[in-house]
Amino acid sequence: MKEYRFRIIIILAAIALSIYLLYPTFLDYQNNKHIQSVVEQKKQEILKQNPKISKSELEELLTIVEDSVKQSDPSYIENRLKRLKLGLDLQGGMRVVLEVNTAKLLEKLANNPDQVFNSLLAEAQKEAETSDESVVEILARKLQQKGIRLSRYFGNIRMDDAEIIDQLKKDSEDAVTRAMEIIRNRVDQYGVSEPSIQRQGSRRIIVELPGIAKEEEAKQLLQGTALLEFRLVKDPEFTYQIMERIDKALAKVLAAGNDSLLAELSDTTKKSDTTAAADTTQKQLTEEEFKQQHPFFSVALLDPQGRSADAFVKEDDRNKILRWLSLPEIKKEIPDNVEFVFSAKPISTTQDGKKVYFMYLVNKQPELTGGVVTNAVATLDPNTSAPIVNMEMNSEGAVEWARITGANIGKRIAIMLDGKVFSAPVVRGKIPGGRSQIEGMENLDEAKLLEIVLKAGALPAPVDVIEERVVGPSLGEDSVQGGLNSALFGYLAVAIFMIIYYRQSGSIAAGVLILTILFILSVLAGFKATLTLPGIAGIVLTIGMAVDANVLIFERIREELATGKTLKASIDSGFSKALSAIIDSNITTFFTGIILYQFGTGPVQGFALTLMIGIASTLFSALVISRLIFDYLASKGAKISIG
Amino acid sequence: MRIFHNLNVNWMGMRKTFYILSIALFLVGMLNVAFRGLVFGIDFKGGSEIVLQFEKPVEVAKIRNDLANIGLGAVEVRTFGAETGILVRTELQEIPKEIYPKVVDRIRENINKILPEVPYKIVDSTMNSVTIEFDNPDTTNLMIAELFAQGFQTGKISEELDNKQMIVRVGIADWIKEVLREKVKDNPFQVVKEDRVGPKIGEELKRDAVLAVLLSLVVILIYLGFRFKFVFAVGAVIALFHDVLITVGLYALLYGLIPGLNLEIDLPVVAAFLTLVGYSINDTVIVFDRIRENMKIHKTMPLEELINRSINQTMSRTIITGLTTLLAVFVLFLLGGDVLRAFSFTLLFGIIIGTYSSIFVASALVVDYAQRTKKKVQFS
Repeated sequence: MKEYRFRIIIILAAIALSIYLLYPTFLDYQNNKHIQSVVEQKKQEILKQNPKISKSELEELLTIVEDSVKQSDPSYIENRLKRLKLGLDLQGGMRVVLEVNTAKLLEKLANNPDQVFNSLLAEAQKEAETSDESVVEILARKLQQKGIRLSRYFGNIRMDDAEIIDQLKKDSEDAVTRAMEIIRNRVDQYGVSEPSIQRQGSRRIIVELPGIAKEEEAKQLLQGTALLEFRLVKDPEFTYQIMERIDKALAKVLAAGNDSLLAELSDTTKKSDTTAAADTTQKQLTEEEFKQQHPFFSVALLDPQGRSADAFVKEDDRNKILRWLSLPEIKKEIPDNVEFVFSAKPISTTQDGKKVYFMYLVNKQPELTGGVVTNAVATLDPNTSAPIVNMEMNSEGAVEWARITGANIGKRIAIMLDGKVFSAPVVRGKIPGGRSQIEGMENLDEAKLLEIVLKAGALPAPVDVIEERVVGPSLGEDSVQGGLNSALFGYLAVAIFMIIYYRQSGSIAAGVLILTILFILSVLAGFKATLTLPGIAGIVLTIGMAVDANVLIFERIREELATGKTLKASIDSGFSKALSAIIDSNITTFFTGIILYQFGTGPVQGFALTLMIGIASTLFSALVISRLIFDYLASKGAKISIG
Repeated sequence: MRIFHNLNVNWMGMRKTFYILSIALFLVGMLNVAFRGLVFGIDFKGGSEIVLQFEKPVEVAKIRNDLANIGLGAVEVRTFGAETGILVRTELQEIPKEIYPKVVDRIRENINKILPEVPYKIVDSTMNSVTIEFDNPDTTNLMIAELFAQGFQTGKISEELDNKQMIVRVGIADWIKEVLREKVKDNPFQVVKEDRVGPKIGEELKRDAVLAVLLSLVVILIYLGFRFKFVFAVGAVIALFHDVLITVGLYALLYGLIPGLNLEIDLPVVAAFLTLVGYSINDTVIVFDRIRENMKIHKTMPLEELINRSINQTMSRTIITGLTTLLAVFVLFLLGGDVLRAFSFTLLFGIIIGTYSSIFVASALVVDYAQRTKKKVQFS
């Protein structure tokens, strides 16, 4: 036994780790079933109470129920994050590749474009479609051929052509950054779970939105220009008063509990809290009371010293607050001309990893909108070396800006993009001429972000959709079913064959094959990789090919037995002689996997990944696990039939 | 149970016959590629493709008829999955110029239906979208909602409160859906899948795919050159070319001949080709490994005999692994669904041709090379 101890420990550790990595996936599956059943039950209830409810209303209510169930137990989300992710082709969703339209951007950037410029630009755009050269390069070449200096249209007269070309290239890259930020902001707002927004090369953005039901709405998110607004933030006293009124009204509504949905909400919050702090009963009671008496302040936390009325709100609570604010009883406590908005980026995270956002009360009517901003540059203040953003406005905007800043000295103005606050600086004094300096950023990155946001209003990034793939959820479900069936029956076919052909040895191989599949799935989950349909195909293929290593070994053992060696000696030389063939053949296949991964996109990469992981786990299973079983059985003197 | 026990076949003696067979297969394939051509999916060609799921079974012929004269030229229509699924495909990226006015007219008609005689003007129209301006923001919002409900893809041009402009997307897929909604009124449908690939992306993908296959062959050449002798590496790589090209030929030959099997070259198929390369090389390496081993043991044995012996010794492994892999891939072919059918078909054929080529191409070429150069191939 002693000689096997080390190997047994390694194998058990590998199995334990696999189960640990796959356990969240299992829990998530259970949770989903639970959530589905709750939602279904609620649906029946609602239909009974109100049979004439419209489809969209019903859907909206059910989403609320679903959200509240999900939020009632933090482990739901935790498991969801750690589960084995399914690709867009399996769970349905949308993948869009966007490309910045450089030609349109150049048209916008050009000063006084004339007929010549426009026709050359059109030509350049056409040429760029079939060439590797960028529009900027082609246009520059065409202008040079005509003997026109680039400074005729771009930059200023002192810049030479090379400088301008560099500047234009940088501008087009900036446009990609801007488009990404706008898309990210909107996708966040839309509430897509686990979106992926990646940059590819210098001009492309890949957006993946899993599980989108209303794909057409989502497509709208990705295009069109962003809205930049400057809105006045209400002063702390006023905001506090409003919040207090909301708090009182809300406590009354919740106590009455006539709204079944709200009752449910307070129900679930209670449940999660009792589980969270069951040991501190005394403290728990007062917290519970506070929650009942001040439901609003229990989720919108204020600075205890009362210096500002910017409330801290946890990410999960944002939707809850929005729902409360939309109740008619609460609505009438808020003046018509103001509204609550959230910060775009989290300001901190709590100890348990929840993101915290600011909530502001701002005027509904913007003081100015983004069309007036002509430029923004993030830089370091030469005197204090603090990060700042210099913003410039056109003459029209500058006049307005001077009036607004003059009238609101000491107040704050929120800089908002698509309804979210990116910064809320204090007005120090009247700003004539439209050149403003914005301070108060933590670091240069934050300043850069503000620059992007300000420019998004000034110079929208024109993007084209160049590739678009939408998979409906029903096709995804069919694919999952097909994939699972293939894997199951593929396994059964191979296992039965192996057992018939190699008897006991075959059943060992068939058993070890289950572990191989377990390893593949757990490595995928552990690496946070995505399982796609071709990925499942990769697993099925691995099931077929995984036995190869075993077959090689068994055939060798048979040959060795035929020469008259003992079982133990045959096993030893069988394994060692088959080794070089197994290693060489698998390494070459592994290479093709790497290449496939490098060149492939999306689903194909998923296939390459499972293939590679499959090879690695096959080697481990055949060379370590099978070997151990054989050695152990042989040492016990057991006879292993090998067909 | 055992098969091919103590096999003693003179494989190398038959190699001339199989050379002829291989060349014949290759020529048939290449002639088909030359004359019938290869059919690429929209991944490589660019174009639009939508899959619709109807509530009741539909006739492909009827849909084909419905879509024949809507100005999109040749539109491919076929069933997808069960008989309620329809796949519609066109190579076009955007609505052709000639029918563009028709599409705009359709939008006008619908606007008039919702609010008769509402004043509006078309302020911009590109190949992908039409921008329409109304008199006031409320009308705009109403139109956006109403037209959206009817299946148009509408949106605001900006989020400003006084926005008066509405943008309507007029892509190919939108137009096809619009036409079908009109013509197949009694059988509503859902969009199951919608793909659009730009021509530039298609070109890039094509280049990448060819590069990937070539690069993998080079990597294999280098690795085998190190692990075995260079002549073995060359033999193996020629065998791989043989496998890939014959399979490509098979694609050209069988396209459209087998109902339910759509042999178009798209991204998963390229993945299948690379897997085929991986499987075939796997097989070849195992034969070569035995040759290497036997060469060290039987230093004086003539090469032809030695290779025969190695092939015979590994034959039962070759067959068993081939069978189990075929089993698994065959299950995938049957149960994996429409999306994976061409993929698993490629592998089914690839496993057979890969096994064949590791004996009759890769090993046979080593024999021929050694005979030509009269050099002794040896491992120390």
